[in-house]
Amino acid sequence: MIKKAIVKIVSLISILIVLSFFVFALLYLAPGDPAEKRLTSQGVAVTKEVLDAERERLGLLKPFLVRYGEWLVRVIRGDFGVSFKDDMPVAPKLYAGLKNTTILAMTSLLLSLAISFWLSILSAIRKNGIADNIIRLFSFIGNSLPNFLISVLLMYFLCIKIKLFPVIAKGNVQGLFMPVMSLSIPMTCRFIRQMRTEFLTQMKADYVVGMWGRGVKGRYIVINILRNSIGHIFTIIALQIGTLMGGSVVIETIFRWPGIGKLVMDSITARDYPVIMGFVIIMGTIYVVINQLSDILSHCMDPRTNL
Amino acid sequence: MAESLLQIRNLSASYDESFVLKGIDLTVYKGEILCIVGESGSGKSTLIKAICSDKSVRVTEGDILFREKRCGHELLGSSIGLVQQNPEGAFNPLRAFDVQFKETLKSHKRELDKKKLSGIFTTLGLKDAEKLLKMKPFEMSGGMNQRMAIAASLILEPELLLCDEITSALDVSTAIAAVDELLRLRSELGVTIVFVTHNLGIAANIADRVAIMYQGKIVEIGDAGDVLRNPKHDYTKGLLRDVPKLKLS
Amino acid sequence: MKHGTRREKRLRNRIIATAVLALLIILATTFAGILAPNDPYATSASSIRMAPGAQYPFGTDNLGRCVFSRVLYGGRTTIAATFLLVFISFLIGTVIGMLCGYYGGILDTVLMRLADIMLAFPQMVVAIAVAGILNAGMTGAMVALGITMWVSFARLARSHTFSIKNEAYIQAAFFAGKSDFYIIMVHIFPNLLAPVLTNALTQIGTTMIGLSGLSFLGLGVVPPKAEWGSMISEGRAYIQIAPWAVLFPALATIITIIIFNYLGDAVMDYMEV
Repeated sequence: MIKKAIVKIVSLISILIVLSFFVFALLYLAPGDPAEKRLTSQGVAVTKEVLDAERERLGLLKPFLVRYGEWLVRVIRGDFGVSFKDDMPVAPKLYAGLKNTTILAMTSLLLSLAISFWLSILSAIRKNGIADNIIRLFSFIGNSLPNFLISVLLMYFLCIKIKLFPVIAKGNVQGLFMPVMSLSIPMTCRFIRQMRTEFLTQMKADYVVGMWGRGVKGRYIVINILRNSIGHIFTIIALQIGTLMGGSVVIETIFRWPGIGKLVMDSITARDYPVIMGFVIIMGTIYVVINQLSDILSHCMDPRTNL
Repeated sequence: MAESLLQIRNLSASYDESFVLKGIDLTVYKGEILCIVGESGSGKSTLIKAICSDKSVRVTEGDILFREKRCGHELLGSSIGLVQQNPEGAFNPLRAFDVQFKETLKSHKRELDKKKLSGIFTTLGLKDAEKLLKMKPFEMSGGMNQRMAIAASLILEPELLLCDEITSALDVSTAIAAVDELLRLRSELGVTIVFVTHNLGIAANIADRVAIMYQGKIVEIGDAGDVLRNPKHDYTKGLLRDVPKLKLS
Repeated sequence: MKHGTRREKRLRNRIIATAVLALLIILATTFAGILAPNDPYATSASSIRMAPGAQYPFGTDNLGRCVFSRVLYGGRTTIAATFLLVFISFLIGTVIGMLCGYYGGILDTVLMRLADIMLAFPQMVVAIAVAGILNAGMTGAMVALGITMWVSFARLARSHTFSIKNEAYIQAAFFAGKSDFYIIMVHIFPNLLAPVLTNALTQIGTTMIGLSGLSFLGLGVVPPKAEWGSMISEGRAYIQIAPWAVLFPALATIITIIIFNYLGDAVMDYMEV
């Protein structure tokens, strides 16, 4: 058990190190060097002398790995550097955005789970029935819709055609409705598809036949099926978090929700690299940690699975 | 002879769109051990499924009567106990036995009687009931799971116990132990047992009567000694030839 | 048995029907030059935001461009980019997977560890950052999505190579003195083609969603080049006045993705039968 835990932690750390290296290298992927980018993003005329001074100031003359190491240490301390745009520290901006994104993402996630859980149970129990076919049709279509499309269509029909909601979200509950809907619809559909498959797999398991053979009541069989599905459901949820993160960038930009996704899109437009790097580091870390946690949780739920 | 418990009259049934049972007539008497012997595909498992009113089997003709009444799924557990081939298949592998025993009993509106259960455990050669009940099926061996499955069937005190190939997934010594336990069950609890197997040796050891199934029909039925010593049907003769050393008790 | 073949037949019909529809879409967009009634890039001050009519079947956008022609040309951009990306990922992934599966050892360990790590990243987050930083139009968007896309191909190809490798005929070829390259190309590659191609097919819908999403964000095609995602993004600003400039490319996106996803699902079902 201790050995497993150590392996888990080592793999977690190694993934995060590769992620951070990858993010740091990103800055060098773009044309031009960071000093030049910084100057152009601030609108300074780039001359040789200004550029050299800036390079010196940013420590760009040191070897690459040294710079990476120094940067990593700062990131671990929670210091993501200063914005190219206004020289303000990046971290507070990211955290403020993260808070709003979390509100949006968690609301969407919980809503999607609440809906998809019941629908997928219904769909699995009534396999090939009318309800199942309708649910499957809708979840197939919803799964094929990009969320930017859903949000544009929702906007058109709900805000413009029947004027139910204001077009631009305010940071309140009413403003939350449209972005949450846009994120929830495709996610619900994906959850339904995956959970339905999981429930159907469990329903075919040997123990269900065994219980049926002892005349065990249907509700107890359902309890057993749900109990055994939990492990996989954790994995399904954890994998959707990544899609949710990508989706929230799109949705926040469309509805001007002041989250980390909108922040990063603004920063991409402004070529404000430290914010983009901080964004990937934060989202990547959250995603990696959530996935490792879900591995551990599903192992606790089903000790037969490998950790 | 003794009173009849289960009567099958002229039963024809299909499974997966092909006919596998043709005109089966069979009576099971109270207190006996009846072995149904046949190779895979002979329809013996389908017969068991039909008795259990499994939805995948479609009865096209005939009746199955338990104590003069038509068999239905509601009889499963309380009147007809079923133990299946796969010893791991009886229980949810991830939950403790005691919860699953309680769910089984509650489904039949009964409470867990610890004393009765430990009695059954003793008969089955299981020691330390308390500890066993706290364990989960995936932590235990196939043989142990098989015994627990039999115990779960017996706690409901069915009059008839259907055992479908319960020894084929076990190794030889465990299989012999299981057979001994079934014999003890009959003598101590008086359960009627229908034992389905492809193994003539086991049938010879355990059965009062033997029914031979071949291509969806019962080709021969009678006292175990008669059928196995003086087979009448060619198929039975063939079967017996294929068993190299048959010990008849 | 009878049951299985009937289901197989039904699935095959489903696949053929969907494949025909998919082919129609591909053809319509490939021959956009012939089918389009108007120049998709010609702006016209006199015909701004015109409702659908005889001259402009899907109406015109904010600059007076023909939406129908742009939908056709835009489809070409999206579909060509999707196919190219899926094909390159397929190529890279399959080669890596076969090499890992065939040779094993340190190469396998390192590359598969890398693949695991790639899968541990949130794909869209990485893609948005990479596309944003690269700022290289559609190529940037394709690179951004491709970073993680090869992994599924590599894993699939690797596991199939593993199981094929130990077959007797491979051993025979090896002892007959055939080169590794020969064995991989002649014996292994054809045998893993079916499952890997199925995977490629199921990736098309997701890739299309990803690429048009990046374009919608302005991280894909560079205007004025027509692309469905960016058309929807542009048209969004004046959706109240000219909804057709959004609804038609939206409809095209939905139909195309649904058809390709359905085809992928059907082929996957067929392979499992």
